[in-house]
Amino acid sequence: MWRGLWTLAARAARGPCRPCVRQSSGAGAPGSGATIFALSSGQGRCGIAVIRTSGPASGHALRSLTAPRELPRARSASLRLLTDPRSGEPLDRALVLWFPGPHSFTGEDCAEFHVHGGPAVVSGVLQALGRVPGLRPAEAGEFTRRAFAHGKLSLTEVEGLADLIHAETEAQRRQALRQLDGELGQLCRGWAETLTKALAHVEAYIDFGEDDNLEEGVLEQADSQVRELAVALDTHLRDARRGQRLRSGAHVVVTGPPNAGKSSLVNLLSRKPVSIVSPEPGTTRDVLETPVDLAGFPALLSDTAGLREGQGPVEQEGVRRARESCDFLDTVVTPAIARSPNGNGQRLLLVLNKSDLLPPGGPDLSPELPPHLLLSCLTGAGLDGLLEALRKELAAVCGNPSTGPPLLTRARHQHHLQACLDALGSYRHAPDVALAAEALRVARGHLARLHGGGGTEEVLDIIFRDFCVGK
Amino acid sequence: MFSLRGCGRWVAASLAKQHVPPPARLSGDSASAAPGTPRYDVVVVGGGHAGTEAAAAAARCGSRTLLLTHRVDTIGQMSCNPSFGGIGKGHLMREVDALDGLCSRICDQSGIHYKVLNRRKGPAVWGLRAQIDRKLYKQNMQKEILNTPLLTVQEGAVEDLILTEPEPEHTGKCRVSGVVLVDGSKVYADSVILTAGTFLRGMIVIGLEMHPAGRLGDQPSIGLAQTLEKLGFVVGRLKTGTPPRIAKDSINFSILNKQTPDNPSIPFSFINETVWIKPEDQLPCYLTHTNPRVDEIILENLHLNSHIKETTKGPRYCPSIESKVLRFPNRLHQVWLEPEGIDSDLIYPQGLSVTLPAELQEKMITCIRGLEKAKMIQPGYGVQYDYLDPRQITPSLETHLVQRLFFAGQINGTTGYEEAAAQGVIAGINASLRVRRKPPFVVSRTEGYIGVLIDDLTTHGTNEPYRMFTSRAEFRLSLRPDNADSRLTFRGNSSLSLPTRFTLLSDLSHVLSCLLLGCKEAGCVSQQRYERASWMKSSLEEGISMLKSIEFSSSKWKKLIPEASISMGKVVSIRALDVLKYEEVDLELLAKAVPGPLKKYTQCRELAERLKIEATYETVLFHQQQEIKDIQRDEALQLPKDLDYLTLRDVSLSQEVREKLHFSRPQTIGAASRIPGVTPAALVNLLRFVKTIQQRQAAMNELPKTGQCDTDRLEKRQL
Repeated sequence: MWRGLWTLAARAARGPCRPCVRQSSGAGAPGSGATIFALSSGQGRCGIAVIRTSGPASGHALRSLTAPRELPRARSASLRLLTDPRSGEPLDRALVLWFPGPHSFTGEDCAEFHVHGGPAVVSGVLQALGRVPGLRPAEAGEFTRRAFAHGKLSLTEVEGLADLIHAETEAQRRQALRQLDGELGQLCRGWAETLTKALAHVEAYIDFGEDDNLEEGVLEQADSQVRELAVALDTHLRDARRGQRLRSGAHVVVTGPPNAGKSSLVNLLSRKPVSIVSPEPGTTRDVLETPVDLAGFPALLSDTAGLREGQGPVEQEGVRRARESCDFLDTVVTPAIARSPNGNGQRLLLVLNKSDLLPPGGPDLSPELPPHLLLSCLTGAGLDGLLEALRKELAAVCGNPSTGPPLLTRARHQHHLQACLDALGSYRHAPDVALAAEALRVARGHLARLHGGGGTEEVLDIIFRDFCVGK
Repeated sequence: MFSLRGCGRWVAASLAKQHVPPPARLSGDSASAAPGTPRYDVVVVGGGHAGTEAAAAAARCGSRTLLLTHRVDTIGQMSCNPSFGGIGKGHLMREVDALDGLCSRICDQSGIHYKVLNRRKGPAVWGLRAQIDRKLYKQNMQKEILNTPLLTVQEGAVEDLILTEPEPEHTGKCRVSGVVLVDGSKVYADSVILTAGTFLRGMIVIGLEMHPAGRLGDQPSIGLAQTLEKLGFVVGRLKTGTPPRIAKDSINFSILNKQTPDNPSIPFSFINETVWIKPEDQLPCYLTHTNPRVDEIILENLHLNSHIKETTKGPRYCPSIESKVLRFPNRLHQVWLEPEGIDSDLIYPQGLSVTLPAELQEKMITCIRGLEKAKMIQPGYGVQYDYLDPRQITPSLETHLVQRLFFAGQINGTTGYEEAAAQGVIAGINASLRVRRKPPFVVSRTEGYIGVLIDDLTTHGTNEPYRMFTSRAEFRLSLRPDNADSRLTFRGNSSLSLPTRFTLLSDLSHVLSCLLLGCKEAGCVSQQRYERASWMKSSLEEGISMLKSIEFSSSKWKKLIPEASISMGKVVSIRALDVLKYEEVDLELLAKAVPGPLKKYTQCRELAERLKIEATYETVLFHQQQEIKDIQRDEALQLPKDLDYLTLRDVSLSQEVREKLHFSRPQTIGAASRIPGVTPAALVNLLRFVKTIQQRQAAMNELPKTGQCDTDRLEKRQL
């Protein structure tokens, strides 16, 4: 649990949690610290994406991806064919730059890959980097922190660092929620629970096995749990189709009371009939998502069921899902209510639909109404204003690289799951129980980076719950 | 750490020794005290496991020390179980020993059944443990204490503290300068260590009866508890218990499972090759179990058991038989029958801690197998006592509120002899260093279980009696019982090698004082121990590099050591160190295969064993090193001790974080990061603040230091 400048990253990623959690990166590189990588250019539409690495294995990473040629001349751009070091598959023709430390942004050895901006290329390069030994995805603000630690930033420059970390932590949390929503999230939580329980039982066997009468077969039980977990992780990692659909872009949810015209708005914005519209309240019963291009930004637009006490079980479930989907959205477009349904600090655009029904001669609206936009889905009046407002909102959301590009999130995900699986492998081959427990601790550290948690106290709680130990 | 202001002046003073006399020592010489009033460097209150270690450590460090105890004949009393060590606890004992503490050596002279627990679970979690003869332990401890140079022992109960004006260069609202005894007499001291155990408002509970006592037959300390509360210390309440004692000759051992000791016995202390008693002369332990009838008696009589009903927190891992029955009904619970001494006619039924009325205890005992005719000599009882929230002390165990006042042992909310002893050593060393105006001696959680213990207490506090487990240590594979000497005996040396550019007050003063201190642990380690540890360390290093240098192909190894299941992998050549990693290979076997370079390492059993252990963990430790370094870097970033977090304007912190920092007063960025609720963003802000001070300090150090006056002027300009 619980660790300062050097360990901020781990904590930032997991949000506030217990201190002194062991965070062992299974593939720790020799020398001074792990090598990190990240997509450094912003989200949104771009021709070129920049991926950066920093740390002692940067040179190795550069060589691994550009075939075993010499490192390019320091600080000058060269064109290289990037290939996946494992499969040998070509990834992209890209400009690469090599900045040997200490004359680099972070003060460490750094490499930059300027690749074509398509999601497939970026994701391919990130995954390839994740497979280079000693490399791991960067945590929130980690490049900046390294730069600071090596005296590359002045104190004034670092003033913004805390805010940045805060923002990135928040964004990552939301990103993680998004990623962990649904099937994959449940899987991940389940894995973490199993692993913590197995670890607790092994720890109990170590700390109390000799003196107390632990039930027979505590260790065997942990063994079989770990075996099952390893199989599950392996299957998951092998079968790419089971990975959750990548949700690219900002998440925009349309929500509000029934029959306000949410579905009409979604159809208007996506220029195709995504949702069925009818004059009847409660037509939409599930969350309907559609990827759209909103004012030049990629976005995932969600239509939701109207927020009311549902009439039947299906609609009630729809309303529940609607509320839930607001937990991890970036922007809420709401045609009628002034507050985000969850009261969270999301960006909120209040849109009043059916302006065509207002009496001519100006609307007679309550002066207490917060800033809002008037729209008529029927006539299209006010659409330009809404698009302009959305553009501003999305620029704010997407212009901030910290929003956690889903591609990187996915690379992180795979990296830690693979590392977790590797650690489970060394559990099975450990020559003694102390080493076996260490492997489980490392494995748990990797899962904790994905879903949080991971304290020692949690383990002790399970021990004292499951066993009657002590003299 | 010293405050910014204080340190600046101190640096100047040490650099300009010729011109400015060093700060006057406040004490030591009886000449400076009022005539007739005794005066000591360090006064230790309490003669239990924390108190004896503290007093001996302070005296070893060269301080004139007084140990004040209610009764000299209870010094070294083991008031609960007749055993020392165990899993996690054995680790603590090895570390206490590495700092030349007493309990491990005394146990090697007083044990009657030595057994290493977890033998098959890996050397990192071996638990050295022994049944101890209570009488012998007490005798040997008293002999040691009464013969320690510079250490005086006096009987007396402390009622109050003498308080004076605080030293301006330290935090704290006042300074302790002595103690007042019950009879009104005073003892002056430069540092005071309180090791009150369960005596602060101690209450003994049997059935529905409660009466004030620190231990059965001893008076509690009430005046002292009131003094501490008045000073503003946050006080909590905990409970613990002890089982009844049974007459040995009334037990039918013949029908019970017998447990025999190890042969050979493994000593606790690094300086002992063997223990005082031969394995064949040692006594066995016996195992029996509770049964449904025991559950019945307990459940029928809960209304007669006030200790169980109380809301005071008891330990989860050392529960009374009542809480075991309540929490895990319908099970058989283990009862270990342990001898209390070589010629003692008492048996200690471990696992049977109980607070029922005495006659019901006897009834319960007699329904257990083997105890059908058992005679209860002394009933089990519960103890409830005050403890002080340990977040009120620094990692050197000095209190934040009162300068030069140290707390060690159960008073800090821990349980167990070993936990108490570990804190005692640290408090003793630091009280002595404080008197000599030396920087504190702090063990990091990357260096030892002592560090884990104290860091957990000072950053998280505790709401149940805190006990050590190996699962609490993140770096369990590095913090092993076998290498405690390499980790701690040379600590003075390694503190010099800390990257000084990371320390806040980029510390000429610190470096100077380390040099002055010498390498042997603030003087608390004897020459003999130091030499042995040095020999072992260099032999290990030499041995490991030798093992790394011997390389053969796997087929050659297979021929040399057919017993080993060496895999014929793709690796061309294998180092001897890697061969030693195989479970079935030990150094003996390896030396038979390659006698030339390796024979000499088999001469010393301990060395051969330790080389094998180093080989076992080599790969994992390599990965752990980086993490350890990261933590140590954070811990080298010190926070000024006198920060007022509640009003500090230069740092942007939330009110919640301010309050948490204010209460725990972390001394390093590392410690701050472990306080729950302190966010990464808050840490970065703190870090920036620290760096700003560091720059100022550096700027100040660069200016010519011509003497005190200049320094003072500088300080005025900067503050």
